Amino acid sequence: MTAYNRWTLIVGVAVALVIGGVVSYFASSAPDGLEKFQEDQGAATPAYPTVETLPIAFQEYNFNGLGEGFWANAVAGVVGSLIVLAILLLVGYALRRRRPPVPRGGSVGS
Amino acid sequence: MHIASGFLSPPVWGTMAAVSGAALAGSLVVARRHLDERRVPLMGVMGAFVFAAQMVNFPILPGTSGHLGGGFLLGILLGAPLGIISMACILAVQSLVYQDGGLEALGANIFVMGVVPCLLGAGVRRLWLRPQPGAIAYGLSLAGGILAVVGGATVVILLLGWSESLPRKVSLIQAIGVMDSIHLAIGIVEGVVSVAVVRFVLAARREAVVGVGDRVSGEETAA
Repeated sequence: MTAYNRWTLIVGVAVALVIGGVVSYFASSAPDGLEKFQEDQGAATPAYPTVETLPIAFQEYNFNGLGEGFWANAVAGVVGSLIVLAILLLVGYALRRRRPPVPRGGSVGS
Repeated sequence: MHIASGFLSPPVWGTMAAVSGAALAGSLVVARRHLDERRVPLMGVMGAFVFAAQMVNFPILPGTSGHLGGGFLLGILLGAPLGIISMACILAVQSLVYQDGGLEALGANIFVMGVVPCLLGAGVRRLWLRPQPGAIAYGLSLAGGILAVVGGATVVILLLGWSESLPRKVSLIQAIGVMDSIHLAIGIVEGVVSVAVVRFVLAARREAVVGVGDRVSGEETAA
């Protein structure tokens, strides 16, 4: 990995972790637009069988065992961002072209 | 805007799973053919950023909040295929790990928050790759961000209506009116934030934004 890519990663991930781990703690806890609509219209009860994904590590956006405070939210935000980062890097590097093609017309060469 | 479990009927979520599955498969095929490895770190970082940003609910009206969708932003910065792949990943993690969005509704949620906004974002992407993006890029991106969120909200109501999960006391048109008016405000935030983030990323890492297939006036002869 080039130094250029390394800095993109370090700075970008740092920004994401601060937003997910710190800023999100101060987020509004009011229902979002869809939830509010369903509550107001009396349509908030599921009509079909529900599929539950188990809260193995996280109860919504709180880390199990840390309650609902700052740190429970911080762990959820940091871990979630890192999971997404890891999956996308794995998928991206698996899919990438190993050798850039010969530039044709409009493509930008390396 | 995540649809929770139990609100979509099996034919509806099945249809949406097929549609989004096809879009995701198509995106992977295109990425396999064209993905330049210099763009992979940006895809990972922006995916992490959108996951984090979705956790930040901001107040819209008393008792109502909204959060960034992020698909429109990813459509501009990454193009539709990489944007759709990234949003599918984010929404799958939210559903599987954080119980946010029903598992059977994942296809519908990927369509609403991934496929639709990523295609809209990709539609204005070329404007941002010009040497000096101007008022047209800003204006159409603001409008596109609003359209992505309001359009997504409309699709959600249509899917709930098709599933007969809407209250009988309101008509479909009334439901769309209520839902869209809330999401108009959220859409304005989506548009403004998308423009700000695109400006920042272009200034910092333009090379990672420009892809192999992009024709950029003034740069093509330099290759």
